[in-house]
Amino acid sequence: MKQRATPLRLDAEVLENRAEGGRSFRMRLAAPGWPGAEPGQFAMLSPGARSGAERYDPLLPRPMAVYRTLASGSAPSVEILYKATGRGTQLLAETRPGDRVRLVGPLGAGFPLPPPGARAILVGGGTGIASLYELAARARTRGPVAVLLGARSADDLMGRDDFAALGVSLEVATEDGSDGRRGLATELLEAALGEGRDDCVYACGPTPMMRRAAELAAAHHRRCFVSLENHMACGFGVCLGCAVPSAAGGFALVCRDGPVLEAAAVAWAGVP
Amino acid sequence: MSRPEEPARSRVDTRVDLGGIRLRNPVLTASGTFGYGSEFSPFVDLTRLGGIVAKSLTLEPRQGNPPPRIAETPAGMLNAIGLENVGVAAFVAEKLPLLPAELPVVASVFETEIDRYAEVCKRLTGVPRVAGLEINASCPHVKSGGIEFGQRPALLAELVRSARRASSLPLLVKLSPNVTDIREMARVCEAEGADALSLINTLQALDVDLATRRPVLRNGLGGLSGPAIRPVALRMVWQASQAVRIPVCGIGGIMSAADAVKFLVCGATAVQVGTANYLNPLAAVEVAEGIEAYAAAQGLARVADLIGTLEMPTDR
Repeated sequence: MKQRATPLRLDAEVLENRAEGGRSFRMRLAAPGWPGAEPGQFAMLSPGARSGAERYDPLLPRPMAVYRTLASGSAPSVEILYKATGRGTQLLAETRPGDRVRLVGPLGAGFPLPPPGARAILVGGGTGIASLYELAARARTRGPVAVLLGARSADDLMGRDDFAALGVSLEVATEDGSDGRRGLATELLEAALGEGRDDCVYACGPTPMMRRAAELAAAHHRRCFVSLENHMACGFGVCLGCAVPSAAGGFALVCRDGPVLEAAAVAWAGVP
Repeated sequence: MSRPEEPARSRVDTRVDLGGIRLRNPVLTASGTFGYGSEFSPFVDLTRLGGIVAKSLTLEPRQGNPPPRIAETPAGMLNAIGLENVGVAAFVAEKLPLLPAELPVVASVFETEIDRYAEVCKRLTGVPRVAGLEINASCPHVKSGGIEFGQRPALLAELVRSARRASSLPLLVKLSPNVTDIREMARVCEAEGADALSLINTLQALDVDLATRRPVLRNGLGGLSGPAIRPVALRMVWQASQAVRIPVCGIGGIMSAADAVKFLVCGATAVQVGTANYLNPLAAVEVAEGIEAYAAAQGLARVADLIGTLEMPTDR
């Protein structure tokens, strides 16, 4: 197994935190000493102290995909795409440049790159899109990449322009038809797999979406890797809160064994 | 005994003795919140801790409960992990050797029947790296229909007696807070030969998902931890420490050195940092350093001078 980079714990300065339409935000954090992240790795983020006072409600940090690492000279920074959907993420959304955010990362097992010559099909839904950017950027140096993004509406679609700028094939589906095809990203996947090419599927998004992607890939005898989300308190394998059932029996920890797991290794009926 | 160099800023003696376990400072990590210790090696120098209490061990490995296993609550969290652990043999063979030799390691013992508890205690006794045992008395007792060992004095007495016979190691008993009178439970443990008490374990709790009208945890009930329970823990630590002569290790929502000092003032000889380890893997070391700084700022020669200094009003 490849040696993972040693994670850091930082009080990271917010360099940028801007709204990107809908409830989506893009945050960039100064991360001195950041070792870089494999595609699909994540970090635990929590809004830091305010006015010098610690805050314990909400208590737990939130797992967030590392969208990408931006190396600017000797000062690496980490970019996070997220949606302000609950109290924890709303507090993150309220941070301003100069504020500090607590960060632990990079964490977890990332995506394996596709075998040489295979086409990588990346299926992203909602905030799950944020797990796929670095994978698209690296996979395109090895072979063809098709990115299929899904969201409720055009406003909700994260990172669309970044993917487009990579020069990979990009298709979009929105549930209200405000961008791309009306429908689900998994419908785009079904059509793509129907082309009968040598594909490797990668999916990140809501559980029903990933489960459907897993079913479609299995039906076409293609490998499929998913990046799971789950509640977790620590992110590094000690709270044991993020267990999901394995197809082979027992449990996998999303934070340590994942977040990326081979879809066939997951007992989907038991995934919350 | 050679010790790592103390920071030059302080001449405070931070050492305490917890029921025969000598600690270089009064901060341990609570069982279940620190894995088997080595998970934290990327973040902290483990030798800066007073010690660790490892994840509770059963005779055989256990897989734990189906998800969801945790949920966030106001200033706290619920968990029902369900005994997931590697088992006592793998702990001794695979986990202990990963820890620095100078770090005191307390092994937590968790089972569903008294003779099985005793067997785990026996297997840990004589293992050179195990400095002491902590009996987790918050496990459901199968024969009593799932009541916690720590909820019935006679059952708790039998458990402690059996563990005491099984091991010559310093014996800590971790008390359940889900009782009417914590003093009675503390006295029972002392009478049966416990060397120290650890308290409190999590408070039994429930939260509901209104979308489904089901409990948020798959297990139904869970244990509440975090800063939300700290005042309850302080009260029980004070009561228990008043009731017995053996030392008490205070646990419950410690997030900062100030929180930990409150436990010492309320009668705790040492403390365990728990849920805070999840939020901040440096938390326990920061608490240890902060206690020393507090004692230095107070002009105290020894951290132990803080223990049991609470001025409780007596005119009411």
